[in-house]
Amino acid sequence: MDTDRALMEGVTNGDEAAFTEVVHRYGGRLLAVAGRLLGSRADAEDATQRALLQCFSEARSYQPQWAVSTWLYRILTNICVDELRRRSARTAHAVATSRTDGAPAEAGRYMDLHRALERVPREARVLLALRYVDGLSYGELARIRGISVNTVKSQLARGKALLRSQLGATGGRR
Amino acid sequence: MIEPRVIDPLDTLLTEYFAPGEAPADLARRALEPGRRTDDGLARLEAAIGIEASPRGISLIRAARVAPPPSAAARRLVEQARKEIGEYLRGERVFFSVPVDLSRTPDFQRRVLEAASHIPFGEARPYGWVAERIGHARAVRAVGTALGRNPVPLIVPCHRVWRSDGGLGGYLFGEEYKRELIALERRTPVLEGSATTHIVCRVGCVAGSRVQAQHRVVFASVDDARSVGYRPCRVCQPAA
Repeated sequence: MDTDRALMEGVTNGDEAAFTEVVHRYGGRLLAVAGRLLGSRADAEDATQRALLQCFSEARSYQPQWAVSTWLYRILTNICVDELRRRSARTAHAVATSRTDGAPAEAGRYMDLHRALERVPREARVLLALRYVDGLSYGELARIRGISVNTVKSQLARGKALLRSQLGATGGRR
Repeated sequence: MIEPRVIDPLDTLLTEYFAPGEAPADLARRALEPGRRTDDGLARLEAAIGIEASPRGISLIRAARVAPPPSAAARRLVEQARKEIGEYLRGERVFFSVPVDLSRTPDFQRRVLEAASHIPFGEARPYGWVAERIGHARAVRAVGTALGRNPVPLIVPCHRVWRSDGGLGGYLFGEEYKRELIALERRTPVLEGSATTHIVCRVGCVAGSRVQAQHRVVFASVDDARSVGYRPCRVCQPAA
Protein backbone atom coordinates (compact mmCIF):
# COMPACT_ATOMS: atom_id res chain seq x y z
CA MET A 1 0.00 0.00 0.00
CA ASP A 2 1.51 3.23 -1.08
CA THR A 3 0.30 5.56 1.63
CA ASP A 4 1.91 8.62 0.03
CA ARG A 5 -0.32 8.22 -3.01
CA ALA A 6 -3.35 7.55 -0.86
CA LEU A 7 -2.61 10.76 1.02
CA MET A 8 -2.38 12.66 -2.25
CA GLU A 9 -5.85 11.39 -3.17
CA GLY A 10 -7.04 12.99 0.06
CA VAL A 11 -5.21 16.25 -0.73
CA THR A 12 -6.83 16.32 -4.19
CA ASN A 13 -10.21 16.15 -2.46
CA GLY A 14 -9.30 19.09 -0.24
CA ASP A 15 -8.64 16.97 2.89
CA GLU A 16 -6.53 19.22 5.15
CA ALA A 17 -5.62 16.38 7.53
CA ALA A 18 -4.08 14.48 4.60
CA PHE A 19 -2.23 17.66 3.61
CA THR A 20 -0.92 18.10 7.17
CA GLU A 21 0.41 14.53 7.04
CA VAL A 22 2.18 15.20 3.70
CA VAL A 23 3.75 18.31 5.28
CA HIS A 24 4.75 16.27 8.34
CA ARG A 25 6.50 13.72 6.10
CA TYR A 26 8.25 16.08 3.72
CA GLY A 27 8.33 19.52 5.38
CA GLY A 28 11.74 19.08 7.01
CA ARG A 29 13.40 17.90 3.81
CA LEU A 30 11.76 20.59 1.68
CA LEU A 31 12.92 23.24 4.15
CA ALA A 32 16.46 21.81 4.11
CA VAL A 33 16.68 21.93 0.30
CA ALA A 34 15.28 25.48 0.20
CA GLY A 35 17.47 26.57 3.11
CA ARG A 36 20.69 25.37 1.54
CA LEU A 37 19.78 26.85 -1.86
CA LEU A 38 18.54 30.21 -0.63
CA GLY A 39 20.76 30.72 2.41
CA SER A 40 18.34 32.32 4.83
CA ARG A 41 15.78 30.60 7.02
CA ALA A 42 13.12 33.23 6.27
CA ASP A 43 13.46 32.85 2.48
CA ALA A 44 13.50 29.06 2.81
CA GLU A 45 10.27 29.09 4.84
CA ASP A 46 8.64 31.44 2.34
CA ALA A 47 9.63 29.22 -0.61
CA THR A 48 8.54 26.05 1.20
CA GLN A 49 5.19 27.56 2.17
CA ARG A 50 4.57 28.66 -1.41
CA ALA A 51 5.48 25.19 -2.67
CA LEU A 52 3.15 23.54 -0.16
CA LEU A 53 0.28 25.88 -0.98
CA GLN A 54 0.78 25.05 -4.67
CA CYS A 55 0.81 21.35 -3.77
CA PHE A 56 -2.55 21.80 -2.06
CA SER A 57 -4.21 24.03 -4.64
CA GLU A 58 -2.89 22.20 -7.71
CA ALA A 59 -3.11 18.67 -6.33
CA ARG A 60 -5.03 17.69 -9.46
CA SER A 61 -1.89 18.11 -11.55
CA TYR A 62 -0.18 15.37 -9.50
CA GLN A 63 0.42 12.29 -11.67
CA PRO A 64 0.10 9.07 -9.65
CA GLN A 65 2.86 7.41 -11.73
CA TRP A 66 5.27 9.85 -10.03
CA ALA A 67 6.51 9.50 -6.47
CA VAL A 68 4.96 12.24 -4.32
CA SER A 69 8.47 13.37 -3.40
CA THR A 70 9.36 13.86 -7.11
CA TRP A 71 6.36 16.10 -7.58
CA LEU A 72 6.96 18.09 -4.39
CA TYR A 73 10.64 18.62 -5.18
CA ARG A 74 9.78 19.73 -8.73
CA ILE A 75 7.44 22.39 -7.36
CA LEU A 76 9.92 23.48 -4.68
CA THR A 77 12.99 23.65 -6.95
CA ASN A 78 10.99 25.60 -9.55
CA ILE A 79 10.25 28.21 -6.88
CA CYS A 80 13.82 28.26 -5.49
CA VAL A 81 15.42 28.52 -8.94
CA ASP A 82 13.19 31.48 -9.81
CA GLU A 83 14.13 33.13 -6.52
CA LEU A 84 17.82 32.65 -7.43
CA ARG A 85 17.15 34.28 -10.82
CA ARG A 86 15.59 37.26 -9.08
CA ARG A 87 18.58 37.57 -6.78
CA SER A 88 21.10 37.52 -9.59
CA ALA A 89 19.09 40.23 -11.38
CA ARG A 90 19.03 42.25 -8.17
CA THR A 91 22.77 41.87 -7.71
CA ALA A 92 23.37 42.85 -11.33
CA HIS A 93 21.38 46.02 -10.94
CA ALA A 94 22.26 46.65 -7.28
CA VAL A 95 19.04 48.43 -6.38
CA ALA A 96 19.59 49.76 -2.89
CA THR A 97 18.56 46.87 -0.69
CA SER A 98 20.00 46.27 2.70
CA ARG A 99 19.43 42.52 2.81
CA THR A 100 22.31 40.46 4.06
CA ASP A 101 22.67 37.48 1.78
CA GLY A 102 25.34 34.97 2.44
CA ALA A 103 26.11 32.35 4.99
CA PRO A 104 23.38 31.54 7.44
CA ALA A 105 24.45 31.65 11.07
CA GLU A 106 24.38 27.89 11.52
CA ALA A 107 26.75 27.45 8.59
CA GLY A 108 29.64 28.57 10.78
CA ARG A 109 31.08 25.12 11.04
CA TYR A 110 30.73 24.60 7.31
CA MET A 111 31.84 28.04 6.16
CA ASP A 112 34.35 26.74 3.60
CA LEU A 113 31.85 24.32 2.12
CA HIS A 114 29.17 27.00 2.05
CA ARG A 115 31.46 29.37 0.14
CA ALA A 116 32.61 26.60 -2.19
CA LEU A 117 28.98 25.69 -2.99
CA GLU A 118 28.27 29.29 -3.96
CA ARG A 119 30.77 28.84 -6.78
CA VAL A 120 29.06 25.74 -8.13
CA PRO A 121 26.75 26.55 -11.09
CA ARG A 122 23.09 26.79 -10.07
CA GLU A 123 21.77 23.66 -11.78
CA ALA A 124 24.52 21.49 -10.26
CA ARG A 125 23.91 23.07 -6.85
CA VAL A 126 20.20 22.20 -7.03
CA LEU A 127 21.08 18.58 -7.87
CA LEU A 128 23.63 18.38 -5.05
CA ALA A 129 21.07 19.67 -2.53
CA LEU A 130 18.43 17.14 -3.64
CA ARG A 131 20.96 14.33 -3.72
CA TYR A 132 22.35 14.95 -0.24
CA VAL A 133 19.25 16.08 1.62
CA ASP A 134 17.18 13.09 0.60
CA GLY A 135 19.59 10.64 -1.08
CA LEU A 136 17.50 10.69 -4.24
CA SER A 137 18.43 8.40 -7.13
CA TYR A 138 19.79 9.71 -10.44
CA GLY A 139 16.50 8.73 -12.08
CA GLU A 140 14.44 10.73 -9.60
CA LEU A 141 16.77 13.74 -9.88
CA ALA A 142 16.38 13.55 -13.66
CA ARG A 143 12.56 13.54 -13.39
CA ILE A 144 12.55 16.42 -10.89
CA ARG A 145 14.59 18.74 -13.11
CA GLY A 146 13.33 17.37 -16.46
CA ILE A 147 16.78 16.34 -17.66
CA SER A 148 18.50 13.11 -18.70
CA VAL A 149 20.15 10.73 -16.24
CA ASN A 150 23.47 11.30 -18.02
CA THR A 151 23.13 15.06 -17.50
CA VAL A 152 22.40 14.46 -13.81
CA LYS A 153 25.56 12.36 -13.50
CA SER A 154 27.77 14.83 -15.35
CA GLN A 155 26.37 17.83 -13.41
CA LEU A 156 26.91 16.11 -10.05
CA ALA A 157 30.42 15.03 -11.01
CA ARG A 158 31.24 18.54 -12.19
CA GLY A 159 29.81 20.08 -9.04
CA LYS A 160 31.77 17.76 -6.79
CA ALA A 161 34.98 18.30 -8.76
CA LEU A 162 34.52 22.06 -8.29
CA LEU A 163 33.91 21.56 -4.56
CA ARG A 164 37.04 19.41 -4.24
CA SER A 165 39.21 21.98 -5.94
CA GLN A 166 37.67 24.83 -3.92
CA LEU A 167 38.02 23.03 -0.60
CA GLY A 168 41.54 21.98 -1.51
CA ALA A 169 42.38 25.61 -2.34
CA THR A 170 41.12 26.86 1.03
CA GLY A 171 43.29 24.28 2.71
CA GLY A 172 40.77 22.71 5.04
CA ARG A 173 37.70 20.54 5.00
CA ARG A 174 35.62 22.64 7.34
CA MET B 1 34.44 -11.65 -1.78
CA ILE B 2 32.82 -8.36 -0.93
CA GLU B 3 34.81 -5.30 -1.92
CA PRO B 4 35.29 -2.90 0.99
CA ARG B 5 33.26 0.26 0.27
CA VAL B 6 35.41 3.32 -0.11
CA ILE B 7 33.92 6.22 1.82
CA ASP B 8 34.41 9.52 0.07
CA PRO B 9 35.03 12.21 2.73
CA LEU B 10 33.29 14.78 0.49
CA ASP B 11 30.14 12.61 0.47
CA THR B 12 30.23 12.46 4.27
CA LEU B 13 30.73 16.22 4.53
CA LEU B 14 27.88 16.94 2.11
CA THR B 15 25.53 14.51 3.87
CA GLU B 16 26.21 16.26 7.19
CA TYR B 17 25.86 19.73 5.68
CA PHE B 18 22.56 18.96 3.95
CA ALA B 19 21.05 16.96 6.82
CA PRO B 20 17.40 18.01 7.14
CA GLY B 21 16.01 19.25 10.44
CA GLU B 22 12.51 19.24 11.84
CA ALA B 23 9.83 21.32 10.16
CA PRO B 24 7.91 23.72 12.40
CA ALA B 25 4.76 22.04 13.74
CA ASP B 26 2.47 24.69 12.21
CA LEU B 27 4.03 24.64 8.72
CA ALA B 28 0.92 23.14 7.09
CA ARG B 29 -1.38 25.72 8.65
CA ARG B 30 0.90 28.60 7.66
CA ALA B 31 1.21 27.29 4.11
CA LEU B 32 -2.56 27.30 3.64
CA GLU B 33 -3.07 30.78 5.09
CA PRO B 34 -2.62 32.85 1.89
CA GLY B 35 -4.99 30.49 0.06
CA ARG B 36 -7.82 31.32 2.48
CA ARG B 37 -7.88 34.98 1.49
CA THR B 38 -10.81 35.31 -0.84
CA ASP B 39 -10.21 38.94 -1.81
CA ASP B 40 -8.81 38.61 -5.32
CA GLY B 41 -8.07 42.20 -6.21
CA LEU B 42 -6.35 41.47 -9.52
CA ALA B 43 -9.37 39.56 -10.83
CA ARG B 44 -11.47 42.62 -9.94
CA LEU B 45 -9.00 44.86 -11.78
CA GLU B 46 -9.16 42.61 -14.85
CA ALA B 47 -12.95 42.80 -14.86
CA ALA B 48 -12.97 46.60 -14.48
CA ILE B 49 -10.53 47.38 -17.28
CA GLY B 50 -11.57 49.14 -20.49
CA ILE B 51 -9.25 49.11 -23.51
CA GLU B 52 -9.12 51.50 -26.47
CA ALA B 53 -7.15 50.86 -29.64
CA SER B 54 -6.37 52.43 -32.98
CA PRO B 55 -5.59 50.16 -35.94
CA ARG B 56 -1.90 50.62 -35.02
CA GLY B 57 -2.01 49.57 -31.37
CA ILE B 58 -3.47 49.92 -27.88
CA SER B 59 -3.94 53.60 -27.06
CA LEU B 60 -5.71 53.65 -23.68
CA ILE B 61 -6.23 51.34 -20.69
CA ARG B 62 -8.38 52.59 -17.83
CA ALA B 63 -10.51 51.11 -15.04
CA ALA B 64 -13.57 52.55 -16.76
CA ARG B 65 -15.79 52.20 -19.82
CA VAL B 66 -13.99 53.47 -22.91
CA ALA B 67 -14.79 54.17 -26.56
CA PRO B 68 -15.55 51.09 -28.71
CA PRO B 69 -12.90 50.08 -31.28
CA PRO B 70 -13.18 52.16 -34.49
CA SER B 71 -12.39 49.28 -36.87
CA ALA B 72 -12.09 45.51 -37.11
CA ALA B 73 -8.30 45.75 -36.86
CA ALA B 74 -8.61 47.80 -33.66
CA ARG B 75 -11.13 45.33 -32.24
CA ARG B 76 -8.72 42.43 -32.83
CA LEU B 77 -5.99 44.35 -30.96
CA VAL B 78 -8.37 45.03 -28.04
CA GLU B 79 -9.19 41.30 -27.88
CA GLN B 80 -5.50 40.40 -27.97
CA ALA B 81 -4.70 42.94 -25.23
CA ARG B 82 -7.56 41.68 -23.05
CA LYS B 83 -6.29 38.10 -23.40
CA GLU B 84 -2.68 39.05 -22.64
CA ILE B 85 -3.61 41.26 -19.67
CA GLY B 86 -5.77 38.45 -18.23
CA GLU B 87 -2.89 35.98 -18.56
CA TYR B 88 -0.49 38.50 -17.02
CA LEU B 89 -2.78 39.12 -14.02
CA ARG B 90 -3.14 35.36 -13.46
CA GLY B 91 0.66 34.86 -13.47
CA GLU B 92 0.67 33.08 -16.85
CA ARG B 93 2.52 35.74 -18.85
CA VAL B 94 5.63 37.85 -18.27
CA PHE B 95 5.68 39.94 -21.47
CA PHE B 96 3.23 41.64 -23.86
CA SER B 97 3.32 41.23 -27.61
CA VAL B 98 0.33 43.47 -28.46
CA PRO B 99 1.57 46.78 -29.95
CA VAL B 100 0.85 50.14 -28.29
CA ASP B 101 -0.01 53.34 -30.15
CA LEU B 102 1.61 56.33 -28.41
CA SER B 103 1.35 58.64 -31.44
CA ARG B 104 -0.93 61.04 -29.51
CA THR B 105 1.31 61.05 -26.43
CA PRO B 106 3.53 64.17 -25.96
CA ASP B 107 7.21 63.63 -26.76
CA PHE B 108 8.56 63.90 -23.17
CA GLN B 109 5.97 61.49 -21.83
CA ARG B 110 6.59 59.04 -24.67
CA ARG B 111 10.31 58.96 -23.81
CA VAL B 112 9.48 58.37 -20.14
CA LEU B 113 7.18 55.49 -21.08
CA GLU B 114 9.78 53.97 -23.40
CA ALA B 115 12.35 54.07 -20.61
CA ALA B 116 9.92 52.46 -18.14
CA SER B 117 9.14 49.71 -20.62
CA HIS B 118 12.78 48.57 -20.36
CA ILE B 119 12.45 47.64 -16.67
CA PRO B 120 12.45 43.83 -16.61
CA PHE B 121 9.54 41.83 -15.21
CA GLY B 122 9.70 41.49 -11.45
CA GLU B 123 12.17 44.34 -10.96
CA ALA B 124 11.78 47.92 -9.76
CA ARG B 125 13.61 51.18 -10.49
CA PRO B 126 13.43 54.58 -8.81
CA TYR B 127 11.89 57.58 -10.58
CA GLY B 128 15.40 59.06 -10.77
CA TRP B 129 16.57 56.10 -12.87
CA VAL B 130 13.94 56.88 -15.49
CA ALA B 131 14.83 60.58 -15.38
CA GLU B 132 18.51 59.80 -15.94
CA ARG B 133 17.76 57.37 -18.72
CA ILE B 134 15.94 60.00 -20.77
CA GLY B 135 18.71 62.53 -20.16
CA HIS B 136 16.79 64.75 -17.70
CA ALA B 137 18.31 63.65 -14.40
CA ARG B 138 16.65 66.46 -12.44
CA ALA B 139 13.16 66.05 -13.90
CA VAL B 140 12.15 63.45 -11.32
CA ARG B 141 8.84 65.13 -10.53
CA ALA B 142 7.94 65.50 -14.21
CA VAL B 143 8.76 61.81 -14.69
CA GLY B 144 6.36 60.99 -11.85
CA THR B 145 3.62 63.06 -13.49
CA ALA B 146 4.22 61.46 -16.90
CA LEU B 147 4.03 57.95 -15.41
CA GLY B 148 0.93 58.89 -13.39
CA ARG B 149 -0.80 59.65 -16.69
CA ASN B 150 0.48 56.52 -18.45
CA PRO B 151 -2.15 55.85 -21.14
CA VAL B 152 -1.30 52.12 -21.29
CA PRO B 153 -0.57 50.90 -17.71
CA LEU B 154 0.29 47.22 -17.24
CA ILE B 155 1.62 46.99 -20.83
CA VAL B 156 4.03 49.86 -20.11
CA PRO B 157 4.96 48.80 -16.57
CA CYS B 158 4.86 52.10 -14.68
CA HIS B 159 4.09 50.01 -11.54
CA ARG B 160 7.78 48.97 -11.59
CA VAL B 161 8.86 52.54 -10.83
CA TRP B 162 9.14 53.31 -7.12
CA ARG B 163 10.48 56.11 -4.98
CA SER B 164 14.19 55.90 -4.20
CA ASP B 165 13.44 55.56 -0.47
CA GLY B 166 11.51 52.35 -1.20
CA GLY B 167 8.08 54.07 -1.00
CA LEU B 168 5.47 53.05 -3.55
CA GLY B 169 4.93 56.50 -5.03
CA GLY B 170 1.35 56.39 -6.25
CA TYR B 171 -0.35 54.48 -9.06
CA LEU B 172 -3.17 55.38 -11.38
CA PHE B 173 -5.18 52.27 -10.41
CA GLY B 174 -4.41 52.93 -6.71
CA GLU B 175 -1.44 52.05 -4.52
CA GLU B 176 -2.96 48.76 -3.39
CA TYR B 177 -2.89 47.45 -6.95
CA LYS B 178 0.72 48.58 -7.33
CA ARG B 179 1.58 46.47 -4.29
CA GLU B 180 -0.39 43.52 -5.65
CA LEU B 181 1.29 43.71 -9.05
CA ILE B 182 4.73 43.68 -7.43
CA ALA B 183 3.66 40.66 -5.35
CA LEU B 184 2.29 38.97 -8.48
CA GLU B 185 5.57 39.48 -10.34
CA ARG B 186 7.45 38.16 -7.31
CA ARG B 187 5.71 34.81 -7.48
CA THR B 188 5.58 34.42 -11.27
CA PRO B 189 8.53 32.61 -12.86
CA VAL B 190 10.03 34.08 -16.03
CA LEU B 191 11.70 31.17 -17.83
CA GLU B 192 9.99 27.82 -18.20
CA GLY B 193 11.21 24.72 -19.99
CA SER B 194 9.35 21.65 -21.16
CA ALA B 195 10.71 18.38 -19.78
CA THR B 196 9.42 16.60 -22.91
CA THR B 197 10.75 18.88 -25.68
CA HIS B 198 13.74 20.35 -23.79
CA ILE B 199 12.87 23.81 -25.10
CA VAL B 200 12.93 26.83 -22.79
CA CYS B 201 10.43 29.71 -23.28
CA ARG B 202 9.47 32.98 -21.66
CA VAL B 203 6.32 32.38 -19.61
CA GLY B 204 3.37 33.35 -21.81
CA CYS B 205 4.91 32.14 -25.09
CA VAL B 206 2.36 30.51 -27.40
CA ALA B 207 4.59 27.43 -27.73
CA GLY B 208 5.25 27.20 -23.98
CA SER B 209 1.59 27.53 -22.99
CA ARG B 210 0.86 24.16 -24.62
CA VAL B 211 3.18 22.44 -22.12
CA GLN B 212 1.27 20.53 -19.46
CA ALA B 213 1.78 21.63 -15.86
CA GLN B 214 3.58 18.45 -14.83
CA HIS B 215 6.24 18.93 -17.53
CA ARG B 216 7.16 22.52 -16.59
CA VAL B 217 10.65 23.16 -15.24
CA VAL B 218 11.73 26.67 -14.22
CA PHE B 219 15.20 28.00 -15.02
CA ALA B 220 17.09 30.98 -13.65
CA SER B 221 18.71 31.84 -17.00
CA VAL B 222 18.90 30.63 -20.58
CA ASP B 223 22.54 29.66 -19.94
CA ASP B 224 21.45 27.49 -17.00
CA ALA B 225 18.90 25.79 -19.25
CA ARG B 226 21.51 25.24 -21.97
CA SER B 227 23.90 23.73 -19.41
CA VAL B 228 21.46 20.85 -18.83
CA GLY B 229 20.55 20.25 -22.47
CA TYR B 230 17.69 22.69 -23.18
CA ARG B 231 17.57 25.07 -26.15
CA PRO B 232 15.85 28.48 -26.31
CA CYS B 233 12.47 28.69 -28.09
CA ARG B 234 12.61 30.19 -31.60
CA VAL B 235 9.19 31.83 -31.18
CA CYS B 236 9.66 33.87 -27.98
CA GLN B 237 13.49 33.98 -28.15
CA PRO B 238 14.17 34.12 -24.40
CA ALA B 239 17.88 34.72 -24.95
CA ALA B 240 17.26 37.98 -26.85
